[in-house]
Amino acid sequence: MANTESSGSSRWFGEEGARTARLLMYILLAIVLMSMDQRGHYVPRIRSTMEQLFEPVFYLAGWPAQALQSLGRHTSARRELIAENRQLRKQLLETAGSVQTQAALWQENQRLRHLLKATQGQAYTFKFAQMIRVDLDPFSHKVWIDRGAGDGVFAGQAVIDGLGIVGQVEGVLRHSSSVRLISDPDHALPVQINRTGLRTVAYGSGETSYLLMPNVPLQADVSPGDMIVTSGLGDRFPAGFPVGEVEQVQRDRGATFARVYVRPYAALDRGREVLLIEQARTEQPRIEQQGHADLQQAEEP
Amino acid sequence: MTFSRESRSLILLTIATAVLLSLLPVPALLSPLKPYWVALVMIYWSLETRAMINLGLAFLVGLVLDILSGSLLGMHALSLVVMVFLVQRFRPRLRFFPPWQQAFSVLLLLVNDRIILSWITALLGEPMPTWKYWLPPLIGVAIWPWLFLLLDSLRARMRRHKT
Repeated sequence: MANTESSGSSRWFGEEGARTARLLMYILLAIVLMSMDQRGHYVPRIRSTMEQLFEPVFYLAGWPAQALQSLGRHTSARRELIAENRQLRKQLLETAGSVQTQAALWQENQRLRHLLKATQGQAYTFKFAQMIRVDLDPFSHKVWIDRGAGDGVFAGQAVIDGLGIVGQVEGVLRHSSSVRLISDPDHALPVQINRTGLRTVAYGSGETSYLLMPNVPLQADVSPGDMIVTSGLGDRFPAGFPVGEVEQVQRDRGATFARVYVRPYAALDRGREVLLIEQARTEQPRIEQQGHADLQQAEEP
Repeated sequence: MTFSRESRSLILLTIATAVLLSLLPVPALLSPLKPYWVALVMIYWSLETRAMINLGLAFLVGLVLDILSGSLLGMHALSLVVMVFLVQRFRPRLRFFPPWQQAFSVLLLLVNDRIILSWITALLGEPMPTWKYWLPPLIGVAIWPWLFLLLDSLRARMRRHKT
């Protein structure tokens, strides 16, 4: 016979009608939930509580891939390991070399900022995190990382990989947190063009292969190959981190703005390790008088 | 029809396994081919039993899947509710279809589901999905007979175990 739960309503609609009524009710409920989730009413809070509850599931689902990976590491040939080691050493040396010149540049930059009495530059510390290997909905533009509230991760924290900006922390659980990728169509990233300093906003396109900058003036000086960096406006992403490279500039005659396509540097869909940018460590500004002295010294000769 | 606690737990266990399977990472090359595991299992159970599978359960399972996979809350819930409704509506006919015809109806169900999902993602401002978007229903149908046999044998074993 019929489902027990329909006995009440079937008196009014009949067996088939009751089921259709229930279907419509659930569809309506789903639509309400979706629109609330989309607009950020209440639902994100419910979601984060539920995620808290389901946190072990992520580890459970990510475990096989991790086990396979570590098995691969145990059985990989000695020769391969030596080759990889040599490669990494070489890379480290190269990086160390460029960091050395950068340290000198940083010092110089600080000195110049001081002369101009501009705000102090900032240095950052990073925290290493690994992505938890679970397959999410391709339209969610989200990844999970294995650091959470216990490691000092906070919502809104900027996430980068070795090449560029990846996204920002969205939900923080105890031992893991979710990261919203910059490719999300709802994500806006304040950027500037490194060559000209033109500030604009890069939106996610829904594809991990490109970002969109729809608000660049038609006459603006942008060309393919230009590097895009974060502008630091909005106080969420620190300034000066590479985002991507201009791939294509579309200037339609009738349009008000040029459409600029940017290829992100970061490996949004295939990265494995990421860095969390810690709260900026601002150097204490030196006392004002000393700054004056510097300025005088600089002007004297 | 008596409905034992064992088969109830079997239903929940297979659904939970399907949810885990859909979270399981696969190589990037294979990821557009990933079948809609939860839907396949739900179709099987709503074809075979009437006692436990109802729209409410479909909705709940969908919500859990939404939370775990990070999709819009209610998206998978909607898709599973519609799917279970359709199977229950045409159940008397579907059950006595020859296997190939049944498989064809499963394909239609999965394609219909993809259409609904593509409406929702279009409303979200996502770009139009590519042709790869339509592959999972085909893979799902290819897996369907094997899944059917597997779940059938699981159920038979359970029943034998009981008596």
